[in-house]
Amino acid sequence: MRKHYLGAGFRRPALIAAYLIMLTGCLEQSQTTVDDQGARVSGFDWGLPEHIPLPREPEDNPMTEEKFQLGRHLFYDSRLSSNGTISCSSCHQQENAFSDGQAQPAGATGERHSRNSQALVNVAWNNTLTWANPSLGTIEKQIMIPLFGDDPIEHGLNEGNHEQVLRSLQAEPVYASLFAEAFPGQSDPLFSDQAWDNVVKALASFVRGLISFDSDFDRGGLSAEALRGERLFNSERLECFHCHAGYNFTDATTDRLTSFNTLLFHNTGLYNIDGLGAYPEPNTGRHEVTGKASHMGQFRAPSLRNVALTAPYNHDGSVDTLENVIRNYAAGGRLRVSPPYPGDGRMNPYKDGFIVSFSITESEIQDLVAFLESLTDQAFISNPRFSNPWTDNSNKDLSP
Amino acid sequence: MIRFCVLLVLLLPVTGYAHYIPEDAQLEVNASVVATWRSASVVDEYEFWQIPGTMMGGHAWPQEKGVSVDEATLTLGSRINERMFGVIEIGSHGGGDDHSDEVELQHAYIGYVCCDSAGPWVLEAGKMSAVFSPALASHAADRWISDSPLVNDVFFGRDFHDEGVRFWWHETAGVSAGAEVWRGKAYPATDTGDNNWDVFARYQWQGERLTLSGGGWFYRASASSRADHRYGGTHIHTPVAPPGVTATLFPDTRFTGDTDIAGLHAAFRYNPQPHWQLGVEAELMQMDMDGILHDSTGRQAGVDSDQIGGWVQPYLQWRRHTMGLRGEWLSTDNHLVGAAAPVLATDSGLANPQDHDPERYTAFWHWQWRDNLALRTEVTEDRTLPESDLRWSVGVVWSGGLWPSASGASAGHQH
Repeated sequence: MRKHYLGAGFRRPALIAAYLIMLTGCLEQSQTTVDDQGARVSGFDWGLPEHIPLPREPEDNPMTEEKFQLGRHLFYDSRLSSNGTISCSSCHQQENAFSDGQAQPAGATGERHSRNSQALVNVAWNNTLTWANPSLGTIEKQIMIPLFGDDPIEHGLNEGNHEQVLRSLQAEPVYASLFAEAFPGQSDPLFSDQAWDNVVKALASFVRGLISFDSDFDRGGLSAEALRGERLFNSERLECFHCHAGYNFTDATTDRLTSFNTLLFHNTGLYNIDGLGAYPEPNTGRHEVTGKASHMGQFRAPSLRNVALTAPYNHDGSVDTLENVIRNYAAGGRLRVSPPYPGDGRMNPYKDGFIVSFSITESEIQDLVAFLESLTDQAFISNPRFSNPWTDNSNKDLSP
Repeated sequence: MIRFCVLLVLLLPVTGYAHYIPEDAQLEVNASVVATWRSASVVDEYEFWQIPGTMMGGHAWPQEKGVSVDEATLTLGSRINERMFGVIEIGSHGGGDDHSDEVELQHAYIGYVCCDSAGPWVLEAGKMSAVFSPALASHAADRWISDSPLVNDVFFGRDFHDEGVRFWWHETAGVSAGAEVWRGKAYPATDTGDNNWDVFARYQWQGERLTLSGGGWFYRASASSRADHRYGGTHIHTPVAPPGVTATLFPDTRFTGDTDIAGLHAAFRYNPQPHWQLGVEAELMQMDMDGILHDSTGRQAGVDSDQIGGWVQPYLQWRRHTMGLRGEWLSTDNHLVGAAAPVLATDSGLANPQDHDPERYTAFWHWQWRDNLALRTEVTEDRTLPESDLRWSVGVVWSGGLWPSASGASAGHQH
């Protein structure tokens, strides 16, 4: 009797357990599907590592190899200036990661620019162009400034000479085919009203295609010194990684994956000439464009890729070495006791919150510099694809 | 198929859980401490516990090798008068090197009992645990197994303490039903959301030898820029690893949208003869998450996620010894749309390149050695990650009343 009772007692839970086991069969195979809506589709072979998202391409100027090659020829052509003395490559030299090694470059007329030539490295991913202009969102717009700007004069093109400059380009036999291939939808892309527009689009395509993702850092080949520097770079003590963030080492990055952009500019406490935060004119940064006091001294954080090749540093080239850049940050800004522009940048009221003083040893500075040097892409500065295509010296930029 | 599954669960006739209404007129003080030694960690140091195909958060830290205090609580309850009562509970949750010793106010609520001293209508307000899911409301000291159910970890961030109001029909003829409205401070909601509530109902029948209970619930949470606060959410700190060890920065991906979770729970307990008890407990949950993923760099993608999971726990009890098993399963079905969908899928944890089905199986032996002191040992086959992991654990559970007398369970009304 007792045995029967026990059997009945165990049968019910057994049945229930069977039900529960059946429950597990109700669960379907897990899966995650992803639709990137063509974010990795382009008519241009970007040759990017898998983890780097494609940059944006303007709808009216999609990238093509033909435009890139035309832009390359134009980039190195000194005929694209008022007096035939400078080309884009005069201030953007490949061996210097497309910067020029000078504090402040001179234009076609010899007028000195108030700002340091920026390196042209992965510009395609910048959400704004130039040092501090929040309204310049495309390379096409930016290129108009060095070509046609008059404050300061760079290439020196204007209403009076642009037709003559265009005629010199039209006289170059190579361009006939390059323009035709780059703009196949146009009947006469070099001689029509669209010629200058085509020049700008081709130049922009070349600059957009200057890609550098092949450094020791990218290959994971950091030295012990550089590894220590990387940890310092990413530490809360130094705070470097906040502004020099992400795969392009700047928080001013945009790509096809970004749906909205916050335009970020930073005052690093480089000047404080009136004790109230002022930067020397005309280099007042974002303030120069917006007129807002709070924007005083704010500049876009430049990418640190190839930074070891782009001395001198900061927006006006006023800091000669990476070591001194780091020392300024360690001091929480720059103290200038002698002219020009003396003042205590450390006390600049508009200084970015991340620019706080920190202690760092000379050894650590060298480690950090080693890490920054690991961002140098030797293939980038020697890549023939980015080099001067002109073999005829008459067309080649010969400026120093 | 889902309907069939629901029917199966309903065929099952729950465990007791931790909601607490003091019954004496005087102050009651109860406490519990749960400590466990585990033979292995779920993830290595400087790694994040992220189950493929899921978004995680809350307090769902990974189990770690060695001894850890899973939970410590101190509860004060008082029946203020015939109709009013109040409960305060402070405690700490285990897991995570940076968080295991954090003591927080888990409960601080007052209640009003209407119409009858034992109910049926109860209004409670303050910071409290939700009661819609008995397992979610339970403490580590209340469970046979030290680890909380997998679905609770994934869907609710292990536990649920929020500020809110609960109004319910309280155990009349075995039936309880009610609704809770929350501020949204508990995962998966955020207090910037405006739509956090739940409804629940359950039934319990008790015979001479048989006890059956079951119930269902629905919970809705809205979230705005919800972070995984285990590793991110505020200022991200770069993990500092020793030389030669790579420590990756946690990708701080946020979710904005709605999460609906529905659940069915059931329990069956049978006493075939004195000192013997057989039982089965189970819970099935289905989650629907609809919204967008986004991050600080301006990336975003739409996400539609349908996930279902559950656990079943049969056990056999003889005198003070309980042995049993717990099987847990989770199935995820996620769809992300947008240019940033691939990277955000990876960063959020929703990516599941191996179509991994998380599972976990635990066998346990629980010995209630003294009235206030229990010992337990477990062996767990953990397949929550693609790499299977087997770990042993030995734990001690102390739980008892400190006031008015150091006797066993409190005199309060425990569910």
